[in-house]
Amino acid sequence: MWRGLWTLTARATHGLRRPCWRQASGTLGPGTGVTIFALSSGQGRCGVAVIRASGPASGPALRSLTAARDLPPARSARLRLLRDPCSGEPLDRALVLWFPGPQSFTGEDCAEFHVHGGPAVVSGVLQALSGVPGLRPAEAGEFTRRAFAHGKLSLTEVEGLADLIHAETEAQRRQALRQLDGELGRLCQDWAETLTRALAHVEAYIDFGEDDNLEEDVLERADIAVRGLEAALAAHLRDARRGQRLRSGAHVVVAGPPNAGKSSLVNLLSRKPVSIVSPEPGTTRDVLETPVDLAGFPALLSDTAGLREGVGPVEQEGVRRAWARWAGPDHGQAQTMGRARPWAGPALSPTFSFCWVYFPFFLNEKLPSFRWEFWGDLGTLSYASAWARPSFSCLATRALQGVDPGVFSCFLRLEQADLVLAVLDASDLGSPSSRNFLDTVVTPMGAQSPAGSGQRLLLVLNKLDLLPRQGLAPYPDLPPHLLLSCLSRQGLDGLLEALRQELAAVCGDPSAGPPLLTRARHRHHLQGCLEALGHYKEASDLALAAEALRVARGHLAHLTGGGGTEEVLNIIFRDFCVGK
Amino acid sequence: MFSLRLCGRRVVGSFAKPRLSLARLSGGSGAPRSPHFDVVVIGGGHAGSEAAAAAARCGSRTLLLTHRVDTIGQMSCNPSFGGIGKGHLMREVDALDGLCSRICDQSGVHYKVLNRRKGPAVWGLRAQIDRTLYKQNMQKEILNTPLLTIQEGAVEDLILVEPEPGHTGKCRVNGVVLADGSTVYAESVILTTGTFLRGMIIIGLERTPAGRLGDQPSIGLAQTLEKLGFVVGRLKTGTPPRIAKDSINFGILNKQMPDNPSVPFSFLHETVWIKPEDQLPCYLTHTNAKVDEIVLENLHLNSHIRETARGPRYCPSIESKVLRFPNRVHQVWLEPEGMDCDLIYPQGLSVTLPVELQEKMITCIRGLEKARMVHPGYGVQYDYFDPRQITPSLETHLVQRLFFAGQINGTTGYEEAAAQGVIAGINASLRVSRKPPFVISRTEGYIGVLIDDLTTLGTNEPYRMFTSRVEFRLSLRPDNADSRLTLRGYKEAGCVSQQRYERASWMKSLLEEGISVLKSIECSSPKWKKLIPSASMSVDKSLPLRALDVLKYEEVDMELLAQAVPEPLKKYTECRELAERLKIEAIYESALFHQQQEIEEVQRDEALQLPKDLDYLTLKDISLSDEAREKLHFSRPQTIGAASRIPGVTPAAVINLLRFVKNTQRGQATTSEVLQTGRHLRDTDQLQERL
Repeated sequence: MWRGLWTLTARATHGLRRPCWRQASGTLGPGTGVTIFALSSGQGRCGVAVIRASGPASGPALRSLTAARDLPPARSARLRLLRDPCSGEPLDRALVLWFPGPQSFTGEDCAEFHVHGGPAVVSGVLQALSGVPGLRPAEAGEFTRRAFAHGKLSLTEVEGLADLIHAETEAQRRQALRQLDGELGRLCQDWAETLTRALAHVEAYIDFGEDDNLEEDVLERADIAVRGLEAALAAHLRDARRGQRLRSGAHVVVAGPPNAGKSSLVNLLSRKPVSIVSPEPGTTRDVLETPVDLAGFPALLSDTAGLREGVGPVEQEGVRRAWARWAGPDHGQAQTMGRARPWAGPALSPTFSFCWVYFPFFLNEKLPSFRWEFWGDLGTLSYASAWARPSFSCLATRALQGVDPGVFSCFLRLEQADLVLAVLDASDLGSPSSRNFLDTVVTPMGAQSPAGSGQRLLLVLNKLDLLPRQGLAPYPDLPPHLLLSCLSRQGLDGLLEALRQELAAVCGDPSAGPPLLTRARHRHHLQGCLEALGHYKEASDLALAAEALRVARGHLAHLTGGGGTEEVLNIIFRDFCVGK
Repeated sequence: MFSLRLCGRRVVGSFAKPRLSLARLSGGSGAPRSPHFDVVVIGGGHAGSEAAAAAARCGSRTLLLTHRVDTIGQMSCNPSFGGIGKGHLMREVDALDGLCSRICDQSGVHYKVLNRRKGPAVWGLRAQIDRTLYKQNMQKEILNTPLLTIQEGAVEDLILVEPEPGHTGKCRVNGVVLADGSTVYAESVILTTGTFLRGMIIIGLERTPAGRLGDQPSIGLAQTLEKLGFVVGRLKTGTPPRIAKDSINFGILNKQMPDNPSVPFSFLHETVWIKPEDQLPCYLTHTNAKVDEIVLENLHLNSHIRETARGPRYCPSIESKVLRFPNRVHQVWLEPEGMDCDLIYPQGLSVTLPVELQEKMITCIRGLEKARMVHPGYGVQYDYFDPRQITPSLETHLVQRLFFAGQINGTTGYEEAAAQGVIAGINASLRVSRKPPFVISRTEGYIGVLIDDLTTLGTNEPYRMFTSRVEFRLSLRPDNADSRLTLRGYKEAGCVSQQRYERASWMKSLLEEGISVLKSIECSSPKWKKLIPSASMSVDKSLPLRALDVLKYEEVDMELLAQAVPEPLKKYTECRELAERLKIEAIYESALFHQQQEIEEVQRDEALQLPKDLDYLTLKDISLSDEAREKLHFSRPQTIGAASRIPGVTPAAVINLLRFVKNTQRGQATTSEVLQTGRHLRDTDQLQERL
């Protein structure tokens, strides 16, 4: 049901106008209402992406992203460094344009950001915009509709628009379905149900509390439900913030024993030396990040130092940083763990190191949140997990039984992976570290992946060039694998094709829908919902409290639909004996 | 079939201009001997009397046709007016100078504001009303309304003529045929026949055709309307038995006292006619397992409950309560029916069991052990017209200048009926004078929500107003109904008296001034704390606080604030109502600030009018799904906003509709020229013109 698609979308967006009474038939000029933003160029990969904002807060948004005191001259392009106004993180060097209304596409004040077309950048800018007060992601066709309302579009243009919007909403629907099929979708549905019920009970208390006998504790129960919901949302958003810092994506972890050539593989995939490579094990000492374009999927590539017994002070520092980065302030659980046992200590045995690549796609939000709790000495690790993906919990159980902190640390990283690139030295398959890796990582995951657990694994046997002429020595139980030589680039095409297939399966087809947009909206509305729930607690009267719940439910309705008056009334009449 | 006893007896209640209106009859063009009115209202219930009075206030010569003049103002069901949501409607009716609020202030026996502690946005003004007084006062008011003529008579048919161009509808109503065969010509006709359209009263297994008990159902009219193609549905409702006051043991029951002081319904009244200490109490009792038992054992004797005619999802009768929430205790309020009336109305005990079982059931209830039943409870089944067949001005799509108001549109309750009556009366009158319709949007009032819900979504249960239906509940409060509607009613409809208009504008300007003054006074919080020690604000906030922010605190009111800052605030405490309203504005200021944008977005959609003559079913070169076409065809939304609220109309369909808005706007230039030549003007165009 599309009821109020346009008109009821702007709940909780902060306005610039003071309340005043208007006549119903009044037309509104430019400069009023909320400011919307969206990716205006096509979805999928492209050289330059155009992000557009329209509405009275476009100017402030442009200023806050470019950190400039003044707006650029009207209708002329300027090169500016875009930064996230909240974190200060640089996003991209971009062309920005400023179109003061009414001489703009929509007739309102507009700003345009021409950014590099990688989804990581686009996603970053969209997220930064959604953090600017007064802005919200546009609904399908909303720009054109505003343009139309301000007399900027001809009839023929509008005719085409209907089809476009149909396609867009279809795509969004499919996208939403895909997204809502997963764990997050179920979470959202649960939240929405809880919230609607709480809202219905508060509404019932308002409309019928005086005349009919409702149960005494109606409000109390609603309070409890809202508190629980608030905690769940806050936890979820904290989790997602970590993802945001990492530019949130489908992660690919490159793992393997030391000196299997992980850094070489990363360098090969990024086509420039990112990591220092050497024949010595433990060469990578620090966290390095660079965005790369991999098999058609833009990615941000990171290479971290391996976690191994300290060889020298410099390497130890690199190891420490790698851990600090992982167990950063966003990750309370990991911190606790870190405190319980220092990681870069003699307890760490040299097993293997890893680096990881992650892909900036919305799908990361599909990853369930993991919560790990550890008790006691690491030597007798046991764990209790709240939510765990089957494949990973299986892995973790095995690893933890093995009581190998190094392996364990790797698994914690694997937690973030949608795809594991397992790298082994083809010429050294018989070594203990290789065998250990095969037994603890490759085999269990290989056993899981056909079950469609969501985590995939590609086994890459590197150093093909070092193999004797007759090829790979027969090795018992070796799972399906790819052969590669990072040095001679032999097997690279095969690897890229395999990567493309795997990533397409993991991320979905990026051209099928607007995942970035969906993601920005997603966060925006969850955040808005959480804020509104905060107002519920503070509300001085019940009408205000109910309004807060309505606003909160309105936000969730963008993700799950529903929550309209009829649904609320249905719950009221189902749960309470009211009426006369 | 009809009692002709009273037909033709005309009561001329208007002293000022009745002769004028009668004099005009002979000069009528079509039928020289038949009377001719601007507006004819059929039905003298709550919708009908409000409609007739509103049309007359707007300056139309109006005729109210009713079966019996002495039933005008009859409260046929519960002896109370107002409540949560309904009280809001009454304030809005009053803001448009409607009757019921003023009459209630003169006729109540127990005034109480519900939801006192839940916030002023959801306060529910309510009163127990003395039926006799209400009827007397209402009849006095109606009979003394200038331009309004009252006549007894049963309407048998409508006079239909060729439709006028530029409007939808297959024909135009031009008057009515009475049961005695006489005709009355009218420019507009308002139908407010309540449950009389094929009404059926049911007690146990007995059924009697009728509207209210003892009245005649209107069958002929129902057939005419059905022949015209109106989609008819059937609803059911009921009323509880009445109990003799002296047979109830009130001593053992919980007593509910009225408010002191009483809060009047009308903006014009400072207080009500009766002192709180003279008012009557209500009493509370409860059902028990024995009641459940009687209901459950006798379902086979209860045809009203078993039949399929739709009842509401909520629980209107004791039977539905017992069936859906078994093993519970249900409340029964014992309400007085009037000062000198020895009847008690057991609210919550609506029942359709056979009479002797009703008596048995009543005596099971605590305090009613020896109760004597005076009238039995009964059920009513009646026809209603799917309200999607009317426009937001309550004119039917099918018949031009025919308006529906009240229960006929599927609503329940006096207040819902009165609200529609006022709107129908105003619009019937505006239609005659060829002025644009007076439509209240969802953003402007509960009346707007009520009518928009009905006309876009329809209803399949008796529609009752709840505050939960209202998106902008914090803005549409009982306290500010006059700011929202009185000025519009005065300027656009002409239905508001000069006195009321002046009072409302005076109040509005003082409020606006007061708010801006309160915003302009800023101090640090420690300083505020020093000025008003009882305020519970935290002093650690470094930001300066406006006086308006301080007024938000529960323990702060204007009086306190004015003591702290006498200049310039003292003047705003002189009028108690103003001081209270400023406090309310302060409470909701920040929430309203957020809601305002949303309101504007809705209004933007409401401002985009759809052409009325669009034929959705045959429209070519437009991609609409069959479902959307059907829905649009049936509901005929007037604006893009209304269209987007119809389930099944997708955003893509809405965009397609936008094309037609553009077309309409284009067509406007031509129509404006038409206006200059004095010909008919389309509503939307004139609206634009005014802007």
